[in-house]
Amino acid sequence: MKDQVSALIDGELSLENAEHLFIAINGQGEAAESWTTYHLIGDVMRGNPIFKSDFSERLMQRLDVEPTVLAPRAKKPAVKTSMFWSVAASVTAVMFVGWVALQQQANHGGDAPSVEIAQNVASEYVLAHQSFSPSGGAYYIQPASYSENGD
Amino acid sequence: MKRCVLGLLLLTQTFLIPQISFAAPDATDDAWAVLQKAAQAARELSYQGVFVYQSGANSRSVQITHMNYGQGEYARAIVLDGSPREMLSQGKDVVIFTPRNEKVIIEKRRGQNLFPALLPANIDAIKTSYQVRLGGVERIGGRDGRVITLEPKDKYRYTYKFWADSEYGILLKVMTTNDHHEMMEQIAFNQLTLLNTQNMDWFQPNINYGKEYVMEPVSPRTTSKDADTWSVTQLPAGYRKIEQVTRMVPGKPAPVTQIIYSDGLASVSLFVEPLAKGVIQKVGHTAMGATNFYANVNNGHQVVVVGEVPEATVSQIAGAVTFKK
Repeated sequence: MKDQVSALIDGELSLENAEHLFIAINGQGEAAESWTTYHLIGDVMRGNPIFKSDFSERLMQRLDVEPTVLAPRAKKPAVKTSMFWSVAASVTAVMFVGWVALQQQANHGGDAPSVEIAQNVASEYVLAHQSFSPSGGAYYIQPASYSENGD
Repeated sequence: MKRCVLGLLLLTQTFLIPQISFAAPDATDDAWAVLQKAAQAARELSYQGVFVYQSGANSRSVQITHMNYGQGEYARAIVLDGSPREMLSQGKDVVIFTPRNEKVIIEKRRGQNLFPALLPANIDAIKTSYQVRLGGVERIGGRDGRVITLEPKDKYRYTYKFWADSEYGILLKVMTTNDHHEMMEQIAFNQLTLLNTQNMDWFQPNINYGKEYVMEPVSPRTTSKDADTWSVTQLPAGYRKIEQVTRMVPGKPAPVTQIIYSDGLASVSLFVEPLAKGVIQKVGHTAMGATNFYANVNNGHQVVVVGEVPEATVSQIAGAVTFKK
């Protein structure tokens, strides 16, 4: 079935022979899914303008009923965390710098309600940074929030 | 193009040799020429190989296929370790497929200098910020690589050591080090072969039919008068603005402005957003492999700087944000 859907999209299968496919696609089954998937991938690769208006609308609707990526998730296991915040030495450095920052805030007086150390902001901003200006390699390692166990 | 470069080189030699004869211009020009060739080879040749990216304790193997038969560049990169992330690019358009839970997220990007096409197409862009040194020949992934070192002229960037294939010209390996000579990042080919076919069958993603393909949620661009209330007054030398975007980010009441700076090799992002009441402020510095972060609060705004650059660069850029009175 998938092969046939693919062939239809690529124009290798004539419309007359594809009646059963349209019926299947109009349904909710596997064929409908692969139809959408093939078109999505094709559209993305071609940068099809139709794709932008229609699809993103549908996507936004679906996103409305889904949790936002940035929403905090359950605390991940320590092992996974250590894979990302890898070097013990740098963690120590973070803690030290963080301590200094807190001291400075305290000295400035009470106008700052609460202060978070920059360590926790990393993934959110590094993602935005990479999406515009990935350096040569960091691109291949996903930021923490991008992994399945991200926060 | 090559002729043009050669012409330039000849010109510089003719006119500059009398003044700077002590600086061994031949060796310097040769080294820049090797880098210029590496920049072109990565984009013009057709090749396939596996390279390993390493940063701190993280490492990933990546298989890359790149083709250019005068019809433009086509490339596919597959991350072989961990999550099977995939990147397909055509010219400057990049599409990334990232499996996540039950879905595959599709992202669109534009124009990146990804290894081995790490160097800017026009090498002149980095000549003002780095000094070049030609080294010997070392063996990388079974091939001979000419060593070229780019040393920063100031503290605002890392040192880059390149190994360029003696025959193909393409980069075999890149290593960045900080001013303590500690390795920050390294990318090196394990194997590299030139492609002899024009078959394009490889230029498609592996499709997982069990998963749903969705576009990544893109925060809409917007404009903000807030971005007019501040400016960046003193950038570290050599860095210039590449792009500026203002967008609404989920979970934030006010738009965030992001400015991307680059010196031709390294890049940094500056984020500025009005600080909402009750929001936790971010302050401090942190480092993760080659990436440095710096956050401070300035005139009721959260300022965050992120980049694969030394701490001096992120803190200088954060400090350069000036609010108009």
